[in-house]
Amino acid sequence: MGDLAEGFVVPWNDTRVALPRHLYVHVPLCRSKCAYCDFYSEVDTGAPEHAAIVGHTVELLRGWLTPQVRWSPLETLYIGGGTPTVLGPHLVGLVRALTDVIPLASDAEVTIEANPESFSPKLAAALAAEGVTRASVGVQSLDDDALVRLGRCHDSAAARSAIRAAADAGLAVSVDLICGIPGVSAEAWERSLRGVVEAGATHVSVYPLTVEPNTPLARAIAIGEASMPDEDATVDSMNAAARILGSLGFGRYEVANYAMPGRRSRHNIAYWTGKPYMAVGGGAHGMVDGEQAHALGLAPDDRTDVGRIRFAYASHLLPGDQLQPLSSIETMTVAEAAREDAMLGMRMTDGISDALAEGANVIEALESLVTDGLVEHTDGRWRPTERGWLFGNEVFSRIWGVVE
Amino acid sequence: MRPYRYPARSRSARGEHRQRRCPLPCGLFAPVRQLPVIRVLSQPRGACYPYPPMTDPTLIRNFSIIAHIDHGKSTLADRVLQLTHTVADRDMQEQLLDSMDIERERGITIKAQAVRVMYDADDGKTYQLNLIDTPGHVDFTYEVSRSLAACEGVILVVDAAQGVEAQTVANAQMAMNAHLEIIPLINKIDLPAADPERVRHEIEEGLAIPADEAVLASGKTGEGVRDALEAVVRLVPHPIGDPEAPLKALIFDSYFDAYRGVVALIRVVDGSVSKGLKVKMMATSTVTDVEEVGVRRPANIPVDALGVGEVGYLITGLKDPSLVKVGDTITLARNGATEQLPGYREAKPMVFTGLFPIDGDQYPDLRDALERLQLNDPALIWEPESSHALGFGFRVGFLGLLHMEVVKERLEREFGLDLLATAPSVEYHAYRTKGDMVVVHSPQDMPDPGHLDHVEEPYLKATVLVPPDYVGAVMELADQRRGVFRDMQYLSATTVELHYEMPLSELIMDFFDQLKSRTKGYASLDYEYIGYRQSDLVKLDILLAGKPVDALSFVVHKDKAYARGKMLTEKLREIIPRQMFEVPIQAAIGAKIISRETVRAMRKDVIAKCYGGDISRKRKLLEKQKAGKKRMKSVGSVDIPQEAFMAILKVDD
Repeated sequence: MGDLAEGFVVPWNDTRVALPRHLYVHVPLCRSKCAYCDFYSEVDTGAPEHAAIVGHTVELLRGWLTPQVRWSPLETLYIGGGTPTVLGPHLVGLVRALTDVIPLASDAEVTIEANPESFSPKLAAALAAEGVTRASVGVQSLDDDALVRLGRCHDSAAARSAIRAAADAGLAVSVDLICGIPGVSAEAWERSLRGVVEAGATHVSVYPLTVEPNTPLARAIAIGEASMPDEDATVDSMNAAARILGSLGFGRYEVANYAMPGRRSRHNIAYWTGKPYMAVGGGAHGMVDGEQAHALGLAPDDRTDVGRIRFAYASHLLPGDQLQPLSSIETMTVAEAAREDAMLGMRMTDGISDALAEGANVIEALESLVTDGLVEHTDGRWRPTERGWLFGNEVFSRIWGVVE
Repeated sequence: MRPYRYPARSRSARGEHRQRRCPLPCGLFAPVRQLPVIRVLSQPRGACYPYPPMTDPTLIRNFSIIAHIDHGKSTLADRVLQLTHTVADRDMQEQLLDSMDIERERGITIKAQAVRVMYDADDGKTYQLNLIDTPGHVDFTYEVSRSLAACEGVILVVDAAQGVEAQTVANAQMAMNAHLEIIPLINKIDLPAADPERVRHEIEEGLAIPADEAVLASGKTGEGVRDALEAVVRLVPHPIGDPEAPLKALIFDSYFDAYRGVVALIRVVDGSVSKGLKVKMMATSTVTDVEEVGVRRPANIPVDALGVGEVGYLITGLKDPSLVKVGDTITLARNGATEQLPGYREAKPMVFTGLFPIDGDQYPDLRDALERLQLNDPALIWEPESSHALGFGFRVGFLGLLHMEVVKERLEREFGLDLLATAPSVEYHAYRTKGDMVVVHSPQDMPDPGHLDHVEEPYLKATVLVPPDYVGAVMELADQRRGVFRDMQYLSATTVELHYEMPLSELIMDFFDQLKSRTKGYASLDYEYIGYRQSDLVKLDILLAGKPVDALSFVVHKDKAYARGKMLTEKLREIIPRQMFEVPIQAAIGAKIISRETVRAMRKDVIAKCYGGDISRKRKLLEKQKAGKKRMKSVGSVDIPQEAFMAILKVDD
């Protein structure tokens, strides 16, 4: 890994600022909207749109390269959505086009998000051949009734097939599961957990069902057609996931993420460790550090304390729209960025080091969390306890609260 | 009568000396509208300056408009100002005499007002009418009685659809007690639901006031307003006083002006008062110089003197409002009157509540704000109070619940304070075994039961007017509130009047809202204080996580302690959000726990999904969550929402 990747040598006198080593690409298309989802996506209208989206996305990526900056080889590339696999063969083209523009490091992690209804062994193989190393499959549940209630457009058999297809193509498979779905018994939940692992998943993300405002689920609950997730059932299923996945050889490494050894998501870890990341696509968010922000003209020249800048593409950005509509959504000082790193770092089992905690000026908050049993301090690192996982918001907000 | 001559000392902007008749009908000379109006700073268009001193009392009528809330008193007053050209149409705004925002928003009158209008009557004469606008709420009964004491008559406004209501009765009785001429006026006759005949009948039957000549009017359309003024001229007696006697003037309200000091609104009974006199406030024995006298139209217009029967303002130059008391008599400092006008008493707060700043740093600001408010509201009293739960604050005494709400709202709105109010209580008299009496304004101050002989609490006579169908509902509620039934009478086929004696402490417990909701809004309420009575009272404490929270303690009748304790703990279980630990809620009398509830521990609180696009959004969510917690009061480790401190009011028997 590094600047000496094959075919990528930086001349000694190149003073341009290196761009981030992580890239997120958003494909804002879905076959249909799920009942609980509040992410930005449009309903897929077919192949002509797919070709346009690929072209548009690559143009957006090229737009990053101004005379003041140069590419860094990517350590991770993540194509998410939406549902990238609805692009079908054009997704393969997208991966190729992106990697034509920007070099990959030799051991780069390249993830695509896949949904069972639009994922086939053939597509899996083609993606693997193009350099994709990992597939994150949106399964959510292996309970067919629950899938119907969530408004998913696939059944549990399709979900199992999708996992197998990815694994057979040699991709590392991650699976998303939702716990706390009303009507799903503890046994059914356990069947979902074991089922995805049997099918070949080596990474599992477990999210409690969250009722987001203005979703069909929220409306159904409001009129009494669906019930609110039960807190006790949700906590029990979160704890069950830790126990069952642990017995299957998985380790928790973040609030919601479990992986077999060597299968952690490097891309997501970049988010939790404050690494800058580029983004392209309608609704996509990116983050650059102070130096990159100045080089890209995103930060005012007279500010010297910019730690990081987050930006977003307009969520309705579609082919034919203007190409470089980066809008800065927040500017953080160096101190704020450090505290955010500390906060995000505490999402992970590894926690944060003494040095990071000190630099972020959050020792006092951490000590109060230790007193309350939410954090432990051993071997020079601060880590969340079991209770700390369940009361993450208390941990995060006390650490972030120092900013006031 | 000779035309009044404009004094030579005035100069116009151009520096010419002018001598000119007043350009408006002032009652003493004919209107000369063609002449240009002399404009005076801050003077409303159309007003004249200066006023002739001392109008002939036979051409003066002093009256007030009284009504149940929402019967249209302020709108009617607006029409009077328009009809008499006191305020030009373009300067007219609704509820002109209610200058406070809160008065306008709530449609209530808090401060008394006095305005002089000149009215060309049908008999060809021009009369000086002084309209004294009074507060319409039972909290301000004393203030109303003093305003009425400045009048010879009232217009009793009754809504043509609503008919006679409790405050109509109360106001009419006050007017009768003050021996005032009562002119019934049936208002809002333009409403589709108006039924003037029924209302006329109610006035005659229920109030024993002849109403066959009641004025039919609409404040909205202006219809009948002239008839009302004619009735005032014809029926209200003119003031009678002795112009040669030493000055006697009644203070019926006062306010504080940042530049001029305390300004008293007065009605001259005997003698006259003019600028430069040395006068004395008899109740407080305060001597001061009269800096200015004048009349309100409704802006202040200085005059040379105020004579018998006249109403106006008097600028004292005093900086301490407590020296100028409503109901007091102003006389000459030397050779003044020896006897005060009757009816004066000290304003006495009846309802007490703890006011605490949510942010402890605002404590000094709260004290300053209370001091500032007191300048215009001498009835407001307070003492510092400290609570383990809420920190430093003040125990504030009010005339009643509305007064309390208005003051709290003004403190928050006009002074930018964020306040937490504890449940209101009354002034208990606790007699200890050793024979002395302790005045208890806060449940915390209730002596230990071991040292307590007995406790007395304030009682009142409550009058409820309600349609016959709801008599049962009212009786049930009054029973639950320890009300003692006195009597009941039919005012008409549609209105029953019930009298109860009940403790004030029960009335301030959400009684009015309950009354309204149980009678579908038909009942109306009025009450007066009848003194202290012994009651079997205990102090109930609330413990959260095993620790007593002083600000949640309250005093309750022994027979109701169990029920109230149980309901309050249940209510608190709903109000207090789940926390990271289990929170037991207990109600206790002394060391004895009488009920217990538990707020179960929250089991999780974590945003599970947090990737690149979520980070700033989720962080903002955390900030919002934290801000929500900040608005709660942390007592020990328990976060208590503000509404918990008022929960006792929401406990439904």
